[in-house]
Amino acid sequence: MNSCISLDDVRPCLEGVVPSMIATVAADGTPNVAYLSQVFYVDAQHVAVSFQFFNKTRQNILAHPRATVLLLHPVTAQFYRLHLRYLRTETGGPVFERMKALLAGIASHAGMADVFVLQGSDIYEVLEVEPVPGAAQPALPGRCGMLGALRRTSSRLAQAVSLDSALDTLLRCLQEDLGIGHAMVLILDPNTQRLYTVASCGYATSGVGSEIALGDGVIGVAARERVPVRIMHMASAYLYGHAVRLGMADRGLVPVDATEIPYPGLAAPHSQLAVPLISCGRTLGVLFVESPEDLRFGFEDEDLLVMLGGQLAAAIDLMREEPESPVPGEGQTVQPGALSSTGPRLRVRHYEANNSIFLNDDYLIKGVAGAILWKLLREHQRSGRCDYSNRELRLDPDLGLPDVSDNLEARLLLLARRLQEQGRGLSIEKSGRGRFRLCVAARLELVSTPD
Amino acid sequence: MMRRGVSVIVSSCGIDLSPSLMRAVGSEVSADGQRITVFLSRQQSARLLQDVARSGRVAVVFSEPHSHRSVQVKSDRARVREATADDASGLQRYLQAMQGELARVGFGADFAAAMLAHRIEDVSAIEFTPGQAYDQTPGPKAGQRLGGA
Repeated sequence: MNSCISLDDVRPCLEGVVPSMIATVAADGTPNVAYLSQVFYVDAQHVAVSFQFFNKTRQNILAHPRATVLLLHPVTAQFYRLHLRYLRTETGGPVFERMKALLAGIASHAGMADVFVLQGSDIYEVLEVEPVPGAAQPALPGRCGMLGALRRTSSRLAQAVSLDSALDTLLRCLQEDLGIGHAMVLILDPNTQRLYTVASCGYATSGVGSEIALGDGVIGVAARERVPVRIMHMASAYLYGHAVRLGMADRGLVPVDATEIPYPGLAAPHSQLAVPLISCGRTLGVLFVESPEDLRFGFEDEDLLVMLGGQLAAAIDLMREEPESPVPGEGQTVQPGALSSTGPRLRVRHYEANNSIFLNDDYLIKGVAGAILWKLLREHQRSGRCDYSNRELRLDPDLGLPDVSDNLEARLLLLARRLQEQGRGLSIEKSGRGRFRLCVAARLELVSTPD
Repeated sequence: MMRRGVSVIVSSCGIDLSPSLMRAVGSEVSADGQRITVFLSRQQSARLLQDVARSGRVAVVFSEPHSHRSVQVKSDRARVREATADDASGLQRYLQAMQGELARVGFGADFAAAMLAHRIEDVSAIEFTPGQAYDQTPGPKAGQRLGGA
C-alpha cells in the first residue's frame, strides 16, 4: 500500500455524497464500468461494495479479482483511484448489516427502495490509494472543535459519580456542545434480549421504559451486530415506528399492549446514528442520536460518539460494581410515620405473571424493575423499612435477577425515572454508593393478581 | 442524451488485465451516433491512454447526474490522438453543460470547473465507433444490451 496516502485520508469520498465508478475486466480483456452509490469504508485496508444484482462487474471480479475505483472528493473535486483486489462476499454479519441499513437509506432517497436489495457485501483489499493530479479546490477547514468538544464531554463525564448523572451529563453535552438535539440511551436486558430506554433528550415524552427488540431498527441492529449504524437519508424500513406497525400487522392488528410505553423518537427522522455501548467485550446498550435533517451525521460524528460510547459503557460497568457506603443500623431505617402514611390513597396492583405494576389503573413498569418495586412496597407495608442496598437486592432469590452481570443499577434508574414521571407520591432516591431509599407519600393499598 | 452535458467515465485494460479508469473532461458524439470522441487529461490518465493505445479496448459510461440514466458503449478498435485547438470550443461547451447539470444536483460551477479542469495542450482524444451499447441505469436491467447499436 502506498505510504503517502491512506484510505483514512479519503474518507470524505466514502460518504456517498458523490457516486463512485468501478472498472473491472472480463477474462477476454474487455473493460467494464459501473456506477456505485457508495464505496463503504470497512477499515484502513478494506472497502466493501454492495452486491445487488448479478451484473457484469460481479461476473468480472469472480473471474479476475482486480478492480479500480474512481473517487471524487465532494468538496475539493480531487480525484483518487483505489486499486483493489476482491477477497470475498459476506452475506451476514456486521459489515453486511451496516451496508444494508445504509443502502436502504440511499435507496429510499433515490426512490428505488424496491429495486435495491442487498444480496451481499463484496469485500476488497485496498492495494493502493492513488491521488490523481488535477486542479483541486481548497478543502474546507476541518470541522472545528470536534476534538475539543470530545475532550470537554469526556472530562465532564469523568466527573459523574452515578449512572443517573453520567447519562444526564452525556445528553446535556450532546445538546450544548455538539448541537445534537435528539438522543437516547438504551440498556440491553440480557434476559429478554430487549433494549429499554433509560434516558433521552429532545423528545415530547421521555419514553423512559420503552423497549426495542434486539435487531429491530437502527438501534436494534447496532446492538445485535455490535457495530455503529449510521444513516444519512432515512429509510422507512429502519424506522422503529414502522417496525412496530409491521409487527402489529403480523399480530393481526391487536390493540397495543397496556404495558407498552411509547417509543419517544422523531416521527420523521432524516439522519440517525446508533452506537453500541461495549465494555469488556459485552454489549451493555446503545447510544442513539437522530436529526430531522439529511446528512447530519458524518464519519467524524460517528468516531466521536463511538469514543464517548466506550467511556459511557466503561462508566456503566464500573458503577455497577461500586462498593456500598457504610450506613449505621443497616436495614433498620424506618420512615417516620411510615406505618401510618398520610397523603392521597394509592392503589398499587401487581400482576405476578409479568411483574407489571399499575398505579390506580395506570401502567408503571414491569419485569425485574416491577418485581423490585413490589418487594420494596410489601416490605414497607410490613415493617416501614425504607433503606436498602443494591447488594441485598442482587442476592435476593425472589427477584430472579439473571446473574451477576445483570445491570441492577440501570434497572433501579429506570424504576426511579418512571416513578419520577408517574409515581403519584412514590419515589426512590440514591442515598449513598450502592444504596437507595424508598419514599412513600401516599396511603398504599397493595393488590396482587396471579395473572 | 449522450450529446448533452452528461458524466463520461472511460475505462480500459492493462496487459496484466488490471482496469484503468478516469473521468473524461469532455465528449463529442457525431449526429448519426457512429463516431464518439472522449477527451482525457494526459496527466490524469497516463495508464488509461497507454492501455487504449496498446489494446484498442475502451468502455465508456455516459450518465445523467440527476436521473442516473446511463448508457455504456464499448469498442476494441479505439484510437488515441492528441487534442487540437479546434477541440477547445467543444470542451468549453461541455463544461458549461456540465455546470448546468451539476447545479441540478447541488454542486456549484466552481466544483464542476475544478472537476473538469485541463490544459488543451495536455489533452488526448479517444475516438471510436461503438461496437456494443448497454443500458446501465442502476437496477435489475443494468447491463442489458441495447438493440440496434
